[in-house]
Order: sequence, then structure tokens, then C-alpha cells
Amino acid sequence: MDLTIEVAHDEHEQVRKVVLIGEIDAYTAPKLKETIVPLTEENGVEVVIDMHAISYMDSTGLGVFISALKSTKEHGSSLTFMNPQERVYRLFKITGLTEIMNIQTDYTVRGGM
Amino acid sequence: MDFQSCVTITKEWDIVGARQLGRDIAKKIGFGTVDQARIATAISELARNIYLYAGTGKICFETMDNLNSKGLRIIAIDNGPGIQDLTQVMTDGFSTSGGLGAGLPGVRRLMDEFDVHSQEGEGTEINVVKWLR
Amino acid sequence: MSTLKLDVNSYRDLLKQYIEYQDEQALYRAEQFSKQAIQHNISPDEIVDVYIQSLLDLYPDLSPSVKHSLNFLLETMISFGMAYQEFQALREKQLELQSEISVAANMQQTLLSTTKPNIPNMDLGAISAPAKQMNGDYYHFVEDEQGSLGIAIADVIGKGVPAALCMSMIKYSMESFPHSRMEPGVILEGMNRVVERNVDPSMFVTMFYGLYDGRNHEFHYSSAGHEPGFYYCAAEDAFYDIEAEGLVLGVDRKVTYHQYVQQVAPGDMVILLTDGVTECRVNDRFIEREEICEVLSQYKHLSAQEMTEQVYRYFERLQDFHLRDDFTMIILRRDV
Repeated sequence: MDLTIEVAHDEHEQVRKVVLIGEIDAYTAPKLKETIVPLTEENGVEVVIDMHAISYMDSTGLGVFISALKSTKEHGSSLTFMNPQERVYRLFKITGLTEIMNIQTDYTVRGGM
Repeated sequence: MDFQSCVTITKEWDIVGARQLGRDIAKKIGFGTVDQARIATAISELARNIYLYAGTGKICFETMDNLNSKGLRIIAIDNGPGIQDLTQVMTDGFSTSGGLGAGLPGVRRLMDEFDVHSQEGEGTEINVVKWLR
Repeated sequence: MSTLKLDVNSYRDLLKQYIEYQDEQALYRAEQFSKQAIQHNISPDEIVDVYIQSLLDLYPDLSPSVKHSLNFLLETMISFGMAYQEFQALREKQLELQSEISVAANMQQTLLSTTKPNIPNMDLGAISAPAKQMNGDYYHFVEDEQGSLGIAIADVIGKGVPAALCMSMIKYSMESFPHSRMEPGVILEGMNRVVERNVDPSMFVTMFYGLYDGRNHEFHYSSAGHEPGFYYCAAEDAFYDIEAEGLVLGVDRKVTYHQYVQQVAPGDMVILLTDGVTECRVNDRFIEREEICEVLSQYKHLSAQEMTEQVYRYFERLQDFHLRDDFTMIILRRDV
């Protein structure tokens, strides 16, 4: 029941790659929020979150991503989610967030991470 | 006030010096071994706070000799950053030492009287007294 | 510090008895002594001090090096004494908090109570159980003169006190709507504006609103990102997901909610729930929605209320009687 967060500055200056591994729940969400939200506060950056190694996420995780999304609108940055597992994707889908969030499920589009 | 003597705190080793002087004075006033140990522990806490958060300051001792009671007053003074939220610092379990009973609430328990004044950016003065019973 | 001065004399006598005879009785009394000391808030360093005094009384000629070593022991106990007193203070504070929370939980129960209306030819069941003392789930029934029944079910992200606070806001906002027939989409749009204005950016609420029209047996509904409920079709003896698209409340001020209609035949059921039911995790296994349907199916001969209770019991047992999330389920069945 742990979450590892790896942040890498891409060769493109404006991209922040974040690889998440583990579970996002009420215990790990605060740590995630501390990392993700500040990244979105820089004008023009694209924050790309690799979700493929997230095996579980509850609604507190969605809350973190919603506040990150609100922050991108405020600061002129953008947010993309890559390859969430089916169960995690379902949560985005049910809550209607797939309509307003950029979620990529095709591994070939941006090259495997 | 009979006499006042001070120890300047600038390095960790000075904490030991302050404890030593405090214990000697406490012994002279007539405190028993438990109270001596408690007073020394309180001095440690006060001196360590100065060393960790203000960098430099001093611990002063005064013997109190009224008509009907004797005691020891300890004053810790520094010109450090001051304490932003005194209520929070005085709350049990808040101490950065991870709730080991230490911190200022611990000092308050070890002593009989406790008073603190702090101004942000100017420093902190903590004034405590232990009475001889 | 201590409310009772330790009785040095009786401790000394006890110690003397033990040193002479090493009998179990003295040890038993020592145990009683330490329990009493704890009861009177006497800290460990004080016990060591009493021990040292007793020892010096019994052996005045104790070698100086042993005496020094005893003082050394005392010194190492002082911080334990402080930690012990802090523990006591924190324990008192915790009890205080606990009683405050249970008062709040009672208040919330009164606040959120909704009467289950009695509607001819309709069987209604509802259950809501918080994971902790306070509930972040909410449901509410509104009945109007034309024989329509409005059903609201909502789930605040997270649980405990923060979720419960947000829930109270939902309840008051819902009450500010006129009690006559309201379109589900309109209600959700109104609630969305309330939540968006009043909560922290990382907080959101999912909500489902359904309106059952008793005259033509149509069920109109909209969903704000809420866990899909089930529709049971009696003729086919099959469960279907109640699919409805819509964004959760509190994210985008300008969102609109699509309204759907379901014709309800005699014996059909509408089952609404919160994700405390579907997100229920047992060890490393998730509850699949099919499993919920199987459980529902197993109890479908019972009344709607008994069904909700049986399903709740099933999940309670599955989670070892320790709910991970608030659990709410509503069942509506058309009888005739």
C-alpha cells in the first residue's frame, strides 16, 4: 500500500513526466498532491502522468487530479494522463472526467514510457 | 533576586555547561535528586531550542529567596526568529521531536511556573520557576 | 504533578520483605503498587526515586559508586516520566475529541434523517451506514402532491468529519429547492453551482437524482458522476446498469446534465448505491458489480427494505465487520 512518484524533466524543456507506481488512496494522496499541483503552476508546461503502474486508486486520488486540472486552467499549463489500467480508467469514466481530462490509452502515440 | 549567572549557548556542548551550572545551583538551594534531574532536563530542552532554532542565546539562573519559599528561576533568552504560533508550540504532540514528551509542554510540566514571550523576527524569552517544597 | 504522594514507608517495607524472603506475595503486592501508581498518575521516574530512597534507608552504608549509579538510573528515567505525562494528557484529549465526534454524529443523524414515504403500489427500502462515526453519504426522499417521488443519493469524496460537513451543506441546499416536482437535470445543475462555490478544489461530490412519476410509471434521472445503479427487469429476470453520463459536482461551473427516462413495469426495481458498495475491497480482491447483482438476486423475494439490509449484511461480513467506506443503498420496486 504505497506510492512511488518519479518526476523526470524531459528533453523538451516544457514537459514534466511523472511516473506513478503503486496505490493512490487517502494515505498516499497528500504526497501526490504536493508533487503534482506545483508542477502545474508553471505557465506553458505540459505535465504528463504515466498511470500504467497504478494498481488501485480511490476517489481521493481523483480529487488530487481535479485540483491539478483546476490549477492548469489557472496557470496556463496542461495535464495528460497515460495508460491508466482498466479499473482506474473506469473511475475517470463514471465521474465524467474523461470528458474534460486528456487521457491517452494508446502506447504508440507518445512513445512508450 | 540574590544573584544571577548566565551561560551563553552557541554550540551543543554549551548545553552541558548550562545543565551543570543549573544543577549545582539547584543542589545548593536544597533540591533533591529527582528535582535536580528534572531541572537539568528542563534546562536541556530550553538550551537545545536555542541551539537548534536561534543559533545563539543564553540561559540565566536566579535563586529565589522569599520569606516563606525558596526556588530557582531559569530564563532562556535568544534573538532568533521567534515563535510564530505559541498556542501550537504549547500543544502536546506538536513538538518536532516527535512526541517524546519533550518540547515546551514538557518543560512546563517539569517546572512549577512557566511564561513565554516571543516576537517574530526579534526573539524569544522563556521564564520558568521551580519551587522548593 | 502526582495527586497522591507515594508512600515511601510501605514501599520500603515491601522491598525489605522481598529482599529477605524473595516470596511471590511481595511481588504480587509490588504489582498492585505499580497499578495503583498508574491510577494516580505517578510517573516512572518517581517510582525509581522511591526505590532509591528505600534502598538508602535499608542500607545506609551502600557504597558510593552504587549510589551514583542509582542517580544515573534516575536521570535516564526523567524523559520517560515526561513522555508518560504527555501520553496521559493526549489520552484525555482523545477522549474529549471522541465524545465531541459522537455528539456531532448524533446531530448529523438528526440532520440527515429523511422519512421513507409510503406510496401506494410502491415498495421502498433504504440503508446508509458510515464507515467511521460520521457519514459522507446522503440520501433523501421528496414526495409531491401529484404522486411523484424524488430520490437523491450523493457521496462526498473521502469520509469522516470533512465529508460529513460537506454533506450537511448538500442537505441544506437540497432543502432550498421548491418541494414541487423538479427536473433531475435542473436540480443537479443547481447543486453543482453550490458545491463549486463552496468547497476546496480537491473536494467533489457525486450525486444521482431520480424522479418517479406514479401516474405513468416513468423514472426520470440524471447523474453527476455517480456510481451507476441497477435496473432490474422482472420480465427478463435480469439486471442492467443504469447508465447516465455527467460530470461530478464541483468541478466545472457551466456543466449541464442530460436527463434519461426508464419505463418501470410491475415487479421492476431501481437500485441506487454509493461506491462504498462497489469499491469494497476484500484482501486484494475487488467486488465485481456482477457479485452485487447475484446477492440482490438472491434476496429479491424479500421486501425492498429487507433486501437492502441483507445486502448490507453480506458486505459487512465480507469486509470482516469493518466497513472501509460509507455504504448506502436504496431500492424502489413497483408492486402492481
